[in-house]
Amino acid sequence: MKMEEMSLSGLDNSKLEAIAQEIYTDLVEDSCLGFCFEVHRAVKCGYFFLDDTDPESMKDFEIVDQPGLDIFGQVFNQWKSKECVCPNCSRSIAASRFAPHLEKCLGMGRNSSRIANRRIANSNNMNKSESDQEDNDDINDNDWSYGSEKKAKKRKSDKLWYLPFQNPNSPRRSKSLKHKNGELSNSDPFKYNSSSGISYEALGPEELRSLLTTQCGVISEHTKKMCTRSLRCPQHTDEQRRAVRVYFLGPSAILPEVESSLDNDSFDMTDSQSLISRLQWDGSSDLSPSDSGSSKTSENQGWGLGTNSSESRKTKKKKSHLSLVGTASSLGSNKKKKPKPPAPPTPSIYDDIN
Amino acid sequence: MNKDAQMRAAINQKLIETGERERLKELLRAKLIECGWKDQLKAHCKEVIKEKGLDHVTVDDLVAEITSKGRALVPDSVKKELLQRIRTFLAQHASL
Repeated sequence: MKMEEMSLSGLDNSKLEAIAQEIYTDLVEDSCLGFCFEVHRAVKCGYFFLDDTDPESMKDFEIVDQPGLDIFGQVFNQWKSKECVCPNCSRSIAASRFAPHLEKCLGMGRNSSRIANRRIANSNNMNKSESDQEDNDDINDNDWSYGSEKKAKKRKSDKLWYLPFQNPNSPRRSKSLKHKNGELSNSDPFKYNSSSGISYEALGPEELRSLLTTQCGVISEHTKKMCTRSLRCPQHTDEQRRAVRVYFLGPSAILPEVESSLDNDSFDMTDSQSLISRLQWDGSSDLSPSDSGSSKTSENQGWGLGTNSSESRKTKKKKSHLSLVGTASSLGSNKKKKPKPPAPPTPSIYDDIN
Repeated sequence: MNKDAQMRAAINQKLIETGERERLKELLRAKLIECGWKDQLKAHCKEVIKEKGLDHVTVDDLVAEITSKGRALVPDSVKKELLQRIRTFLAQHASL
């Protein structure tokens, strides 16, 4: 039969409509049949009733349709009005404000360190005159005397490291507003650094030596413990490691990785005097090895250069008093440095201090 | 009458050839699932099967029970849309 012979246009509409209806009915029946086959197969294969749940479970998960609740039955604004007690300051804080409050309260987090940095910068600028006199006192106070940085330049990395212990808002802050980490850290229950370190007092000399040959060993000023990370741990610089070894094992101690070009010879008495007055060892410099690298090459311009790590390596002391005088040694030739410390001037100075 | 029958056959053939029939079928299936027809029918099936007993269900039983109900349950909107498309198709292929 040829389509060309048929002409639908010749048919009247009722017939067309009838045909359309027929086609439609055919389609629907096809669908029904298809559905029947599916069901029958499901029944015979045994999975027809699988998606049924027992009425008890159905009740549990029934859709809730009450005003003020979502379909699971939860209240919309439930957490807004709830209050939590801050473990740090024991205040009752609204739930939605709890996280930012905790950040500031603990002094951890980006914003709090920024704010504290700014505050310290401001306060140090204001206290600059009085700080100079108090410095020597500070040094005498503690074995680990980390006097505040005098000069203007403060590295951000230092502050970040200091900061968790120096909550400017906390009443525990010392009146001098300086970094007296030795004192404050003890009272601060929340330690920023996990104290995964070794207390060097408990170690014998042999253990110390073996430890220092395998681990970083740099003593954290906050916890008074030696760093147990590898010799190349990024938190501390090689100068610090050298200083620690010198401190423990005498001036002849050499780092497992010997650094070339350390020249400590040019060590002026006069310079050292002024230096001692600014003894400071910032462990904080550790965080930025790049900084230490740069300060190494620099002519040790500002003592305020927080990264005294470059200087620390040059310290030589035969003293038990380990004031890791980073800065002291960098006098004179800052370009070349030798691992061997020139002993003479330093001990006397330290005697004075002690 | 013969002509009509021939007409119908011709039209059906045309439907299949152009693939329109398949398209229409798919469209219908999708619409029925959307409107919940399938779920309604499934519930009805369950009852029937529970009545008859799971092991004694045959295809013929199901077909008999379901097709009549199914045809009745198709919502009007779906029916109208499908008819529209069929008419369009017929109009397109009027003078072939």
